[in-house]
Amino acid sequence: MSGHDNSNGSSEKSSSVMDDLPTFNAENMQNNMKVILYSRTFMAIIGGVIAGILGLTSLTGFIFYFLVMVITSVALTAKAKFSIHSYFDSWNRVMLDGFFGGLMSFVLFWTFAYDIVHIF
Amino acid sequence: MAEDLVLDTAIRDWVLIPLSVVMVLIGILRYFVSKLMRSSTQPDPKIIKEGQVIIRARNLRAGANYIPAKSFRARKVYYSNEENGLLHVPKGQAQNPQAQMFSDPNMAMDMMKKNLSMIIPQTLTFAWVNFFFSGFVAAKIPFPLTQRFRTMLQNGIDLSTVDVSYVSSRSWYFLNLFGLRGLFSLILGEENATDDTQRMMQMSGFGFDPSKSLGAEKDGLDIIQHDWALPKFEQRAEAVLRKLVK
Amino acid sequence: MVTRTEEEEVNRLENQVENGGGGAWEYLCLVHKLKLRRSDLVLKHGLSILNDSKKRSALGPEEWTLYEQVAVAAMDCQSLDVAKDCIKVLQKKFPGSKRVGRLEAMLLEARGLWSEAENAYSSLLEENPFDQVVHKRRAAMAKAQGNTSAAIDWLNKYLDLFMADHEAWRELAEIYVSLQMYKQSAFCYEELILSQPTVPLYHLAYADVLYTLGGLENLQMAKKYYASTIDLTGGKSTRALFGICLCTSAIAQLSKGRSKEDKESSELQSLSAMALEKDYKQRAPSNLSVLSSTLRSLKI
Repeated sequence: MSGHDNSNGSSEKSSSVMDDLPTFNAENMQNNMKVILYSRTFMAIIGGVIAGILGLTSLTGFIFYFLVMVITSVALTAKAKFSIHSYFDSWNRVMLDGFFGGLMSFVLFWTFAYDIVHIF
Repeated sequence: MAEDLVLDTAIRDWVLIPLSVVMVLIGILRYFVSKLMRSSTQPDPKIIKEGQVIIRARNLRAGANYIPAKSFRARKVYYSNEENGLLHVPKGQAQNPQAQMFSDPNMAMDMMKKNLSMIIPQTLTFAWVNFFFSGFVAAKIPFPLTQRFRTMLQNGIDLSTVDVSYVSSRSWYFLNLFGLRGLFSLILGEENATDDTQRMMQMSGFGFDPSKSLGAEKDGLDIIQHDWALPKFEQRAEAVLRKLVK
Repeated sequence: MVTRTEEEEVNRLENQVENGGGGAWEYLCLVHKLKLRRSDLVLKHGLSILNDSKKRSALGPEEWTLYEQVAVAAMDCQSLDVAKDCIKVLQKKFPGSKRVGRLEAMLLEARGLWSEAENAYSSLLEENPFDQVVHKRRAAMAKAQGNTSAAIDWLNKYLDLFMADHEAWRELAEIYVSLQMYKQSAFCYEELILSQPTVPLYHLAYADVLYTLGGLENLQMAKKYYASTIDLTGGKSTRALFGICLCTSAIAQLSKGRSKEDKESSELQSLSAMALEKDYKQRAPSNLSVLSSTLRSLKI
């Protein structure tokens, strides 16, 4: 991961003691979501180019996309210091948001790189 | 099925890459044009007020547990009583958005501008692609597809033996159209997030209807249960202090 | 809200700029973005950029926002001539602009020509009745003249339309406190807590108002809000710690006559007293004796 997800350090966190009532700051949440979307799109594009250059086809390519997304999720979780709930309201946010949005970008750049390297 | 086809490098240099570059440039151009055309119309005080009421009511819903029960009840009545609550919309007044649009030419104009900035470049590029780059295979997508996609993806190529994953330039155009959205959000910032699909959704719904969202907010407020969070804070404060004193 | 990282960045840049290390433009941008009020520094460094024609032209179109920023800062520092010069430059560049018109009205206001400024603001509002800055300036002007009731009127009028503007709510709350209209200001602070539930400042101010209102119920509520302030600040708010002690003793006094006693809260008080003592020991050891005698007098 490069420096594109550097801004989620500013998220709020009230107190981990007895954290039974959620205290979220909507603005910071939105910022975190933006960072996630940004990282995902970035990774999807980079992953697409890599998959194309490697010449992955059919199912392998999609598995590669899935792997890239899993790596992104893990990296984001690590960035959040493995305490998702102090930065986001649910796990789904980190794991699923932007998954399908990134797919189109992935396919585009995959095709592009694949065609340029392997077809012509 | 054919063996692997080898495509002419001229196709890469004169179709594949130019098409992508043009689409990126058009996307950026459209972003700036729509920024320029965004008119600063004189807003209607009623609409401003409704927007602000909705924000405030949403705040109340989100933060209800942080104020005492008495204050919450007073506010709830203030927002949603049946006579003159802020969120209460009289039946007859609920305007039909369509009618509202016709009564306000500015709004229609705005709508037109927004849609035109989307439709014109798209139609033009599509026509351009169709006119110049049709009738040959332009790219190969790296995953197999079923025969059903043939008519869609190999439009203009009358060969039934070519593998379906070899596609015409028109398909490449569509792939760009959808795939570049992510790239735009990276290079142009989040403002570009109102992408085409969202706009199309808006077009069918014709803008937003403030009275409807007022009603929705009222319903949301009606079902909310007040559960004062502050008593819990005493214990939390104790825990914090205990840590501090140690 | 200014986050901690942003604050550090500002302080770092400020040090650098003050010691002649460059980066003045970045500093000015950051101050502008975070809406900080460091008028003297902005005036000093902004002017040094503006007076240097090479640096000024390097800014490109940002030059004009810098002129505006410096003009406002100059008015804040009462260097009215500088402000006048800046506004003149802007006027030449953007004739008939409302934004410049606003600056002119502010200059009138800074000179103390209240009625002229008032006229200028009203004509601006006639052109654009939804100019939030002008509305707020009007309220601020009334307050500057000492006419608090007029300021309250303006603010109420403004909030009737822009009711989600928490800055205006805050101003109104503070004016009400200054007029000892605590019930009204409590309402405003509730509104502020609703809009930003994680800002400890509002919890603290609300607790203060409740404590001042008095009465058993209000005192108990005040104590809870002091507790939430402690939680939100991580126990660093001395005022909230004192608040807890005061509230507990006041509650004890009020409920002494009654047989029913709530013992649940005694620990919070002793804890906050301990935290206070520790804090004083660290930061102001000379005042420790005053503190302990005060705390002793509170304990009943």
